[in-house]
Amino acid sequence: MKRMTRGAAVVSALTLAVTMAVGITPSQAATTLTMIAADYPGDGHTQQDQWTDFATRFHAANPDITVNVIVKSWNDIDQYVATQIASGQTPDVVNKGDYSAPAAAGLLYPASKIVSPATLADILPAFLNNSKYNGVVYALPDLASARALFYNKDLLAKAGITKLPTSWLSLTTALGIIHRKLKGIYGYAIPLGPEEAQAEFNIWSGGNGGTYYNYATKAWVLDSPANVATATYIKSLVKKGYTEPNPDKCDRTACAQALFAAGKAVFINGSVFLGSWLKSNGGAKLNVGTGSFVSNTGHKPVTLGVQDYFTAYSKNGNQASIQKWMDFIYQPANYAKFLVAAGGFIPATKSAGVKAASDPALAPFIKLLPNAVFYPGDIASWNSVKGQIQQGIGQAVTGDPAKVLGQLQTAAAAAK
Amino acid sequence: MTTVRKRYRIGALPWIGPAMAVIFLMVLYPAYEMVKTSFMSIDPTGTSHGFAGLSNYRTLFRNPNLIAVLERTVIWTISIVVITVLISLPVAQILHAKFPGRRFVRYALIVPWAASVVMTSTSWLWILNGYYGVLNRILISFGLIQEPKQFLGSQTQSFTWLIVVAIFVSVPFTTYVVLAGLTTIGEDIMEASTVDGASGWQRYKHIIFPLLRPALLISMVINLINVFNSFPIIWVMTTGGPGYSTDTTTTLAYKISFRNADIAQSASMATINFGIILLFIVLFLKVSRWRDDS
Repeated sequence: MKRMTRGAAVVSALTLAVTMAVGITPSQAATTLTMIAADYPGDGHTQQDQWTDFATRFHAANPDITVNVIVKSWNDIDQYVATQIASGQTPDVVNKGDYSAPAAAGLLYPASKIVSPATLADILPAFLNNSKYNGVVYALPDLASARALFYNKDLLAKAGITKLPTSWLSLTTALGIIHRKLKGIYGYAIPLGPEEAQAEFNIWSGGNGGTYYNYATKAWVLDSPANVATATYIKSLVKKGYTEPNPDKCDRTACAQALFAAGKAVFINGSVFLGSWLKSNGGAKLNVGTGSFVSNTGHKPVTLGVQDYFTAYSKNGNQASIQKWMDFIYQPANYAKFLVAAGGFIPATKSAGVKAASDPALAPFIKLLPNAVFYPGDIASWNSVKGQIQQGIGQAVTGDPAKVLGQLQTAAAAAK
Repeated sequence: MTTVRKRYRIGALPWIGPAMAVIFLMVLYPAYEMVKTSFMSIDPTGTSHGFAGLSNYRTLFRNPNLIAVLERTVIWTISIVVITVLISLPVAQILHAKFPGRRFVRYALIVPWAASVVMTSTSWLWILNGYYGVLNRILISFGLIQEPKQFLGSQTQSFTWLIVVAIFVSVPFTTYVVLAGLTTIGEDIMEASTVDGASGWQRYKHIIFPLLRPALLISMVINLINVFNSFPIIWVMTTGGPGYSTDTTTTLAYKISFRNADIAQSASMATINFGIILLFIVLFLKVSRWRDDS
């Protein structure tokens, strides 16, 4: 009796195992593309809905191709994509903020193979120039954003400041006045916490002639004198209480933008989508103005241009299907839907750019773009160095600027 | 006789088989992969470029934050485990005594344990928020401080608060293990000692505490492992920041892997981590003379 029970258990366990194995055997008749896409701010679940809609309509037009789009938050996407590749499940298309590392590793199709010549011709050359690795375009810009100085008009008027500061010197003076006259209000919200520290610092140092990477010497220059001087200047503002306390802990969304939305900060570095973000995050009634960033005397103010990318991986060999799918995305009607779902960014195609130039929300940013500095996104180790900067650079304005930037420089020089 | 026993042993295979398979697939194989990865060269895309010798370890040892992180990990683990026990012993004693509402208090103590650590940490994060936090609000309304304080701003303060929260979530489990130990102590021994005229303190020191030792040791070893590997509290509340100033080796490994995109170097950190926790446990068992009791 006992034996029978045992035997029965073995048999049933085996049966179960076999059924499960049969159940998960894929039945591949047609091509299935996997795409991993970052979740732009939009408002809520618009991105997932948009991609599902795209995939459904695309499948209806191309019954032999199925597209699975996995939408991941910006916090998780780098890690998710790396894990997928490391575990042999390389996706076909990825939509996120970098391309150079996979391009350097030889994982990508060149851009000329992932869209038709007509689609490629419609993409703005300026953006394509930022999508090269060793002179070959390896990524397609999906959209771009630029930053502007946002300020709270009412608070500025309350402090009696009528002219926007244009130099670091006049900025210090203005912040001093705000500090004296408006109790409990921070002059400048400077988010150097991990979320977006690399952007914030790039804008400040750009206004002092500093960069992260020197293309002439082909080397990282995180501890350049210009960068150290920038950190020292920001540190002086922090020390005087002109910024929020602990900028090294302050993340862009949860801290800086939240302070600005609550009317507790006068100046902030804002991206194209800050306006719509404020509306849905308690800052709808703010009287907001935008202007250009403040630079050190003798330097031009800069803005930071950020562009994101579509990249296509060659491992699964689905080049023909990928090209159909990418052309479908860039069809003007679809591309417009993508931009709306993403939440109001600067388009990367000529056809959509014409329309955007007359959009009052985007026009000021498009005007700033010619003076934009971009991340050294074409350097293979950028993504890794970006991570180092995000974790560490905040300490340069609360600790010893030269020492912290020196440590980052050492780490960047060793980064793969 | 022997054949029967043998058959019996093989017959056990279907029952222990799945457990062994799980151990191999979920524990031993990943551990092997981890150690292997730590000797590989892997680029930020996740592509492997073959064997790299000790280069990942060399890079890791050059990390200027490593020493501080190691020291902090030791402080973190020992302080939490020790303070947790110091709190749990009297709390368990109270819960062992009979008083009205005891059942309610016992249930209440389970809450921080039963709640997800991420939830608990998120609650604390908001309690301590430097701009809107309720703790600031309370302290201001009592006139104890004038301006809101950034509790998670500086290194010392945020690390202290992390330890407080970690103790908060460790106490219930430890208390319950000690409580279980207390209930196993027979009434007869206690009565006998009372008859012999032992004072309350003498009873605790010479009877209760020695009998609690097995329970205490088990809870401490489990806490040691849990606290050492604890990730969510630190990650949710400070992400190891500002900078790397509240990182332990666990969060540092995560950052190296997923923020700095260096999976192989992170694997070498994780391998060292694994070594440290083994060392911790061996040392602990030695110091506590574990075998004497078994």
